[in-house]
Amino acid sequence: MMPWLDAVQTSALAQAIGNSRWATAVLSSLHLVGFTLLMGSTLISNLRLLGAVLPDRPIDEVTRPAARAAWIALALSAATGSLLFVPRASGAVANPTFQLKMLLLATAVGVQALALPRVAHSPLQPAAARVTGAAGLVLWLGLALAGCAFILFE
Amino acid sequence: MLDLCHWLETTAVGIVVRESLYGFPILVGLHIMGLIVSVGVVLWFDLRLLGLALTGVPPSGVYRRLMPWAAAGFVLMAITGGLLFVGYASTAYENVFFRIKLAAMLLAALNAVVYHRVTQRSGDTWDAPSHMPAGARVAGAASLLLWTIVIVSGRMMAYTMY
Repeated sequence: MMPWLDAVQTSALAQAIGNSRWATAVLSSLHLVGFTLLMGSTLISNLRLLGAVLPDRPIDEVTRPAARAAWIALALSAATGSLLFVPRASGAVANPTFQLKMLLLATAVGVQALALPRVAHSPLQPAAARVTGAAGLVLWLGLALAGCAFILFE
Repeated sequence: MLDLCHWLETTAVGIVVRESLYGFPILVGLHIMGLIVSVGVVLWFDLRLLGLALTGVPPSGVYRRLMPWAAAGFVLMAITGGLLFVGYASTAYENVFFRIKLAAMLLAALNAVVYHRVTQRSGDTWDAPSHMPAGARVAGAASLLLWTIVIVSGRMMAYTMY
């Protein structure tokens, strides 16, 4: 398809990972550990924005530690995810489930990085906080479902 | 035990799980969703016990607010996990990662029981401060470690069960 994808997929790194069942298994395990932490962090953050958990606490008391954990978790998920991507680059890019997964990831990270800090610091905008929380919840859960679909139907 | 596993696989439920076209992917998908919600929420209670997050709220308050969400995830995870086991009981039973996963889950349950029966009983003296007693911190760290082992060994099963 695209020449750079072929280059990625035929690299020494791709061959090393692609030929090792154990490397793939360990990377997948760490990917899921990172993703569980990422989902847990975005989940309590968005549930707080919706007012569903700890509604009596200030929003940023919940969203601040959650955001810190989410960025660490995203780094682990992205690093292991990239290594898993390398040996199957062209197949993954052509896969609609993978395309959906990346689209949801980009949108969810965008909401997390741009909208969330704004509503977290303005307690006078409960409606905006709720909309951001609902959007975040749908995007991250959608990403999890797309991720499941990708590993199961690849 | 292996006879019991073989019998489970021959039950109607076992056959449906194994042979229906979408049964397996749907069950695994829901199992992972249940895991993400339950462990994802529980880990915030563990971080609270470690004094690393939500220190402005007493642990009992964090527990009360978060546990209904975690419990919903656990129920989904247990039902789908149970159904998957019935379908693949003997292969799972002989798989080393399944055994590690089961052992880690039992230890996580034991850890929770010990926390609620022993550590939390002395709770009224330390429920408010952000500096947590050693027992609570050990319980939080053990829970984080054990659930990480459950996730890793669960994912490893997908690569070692045939």
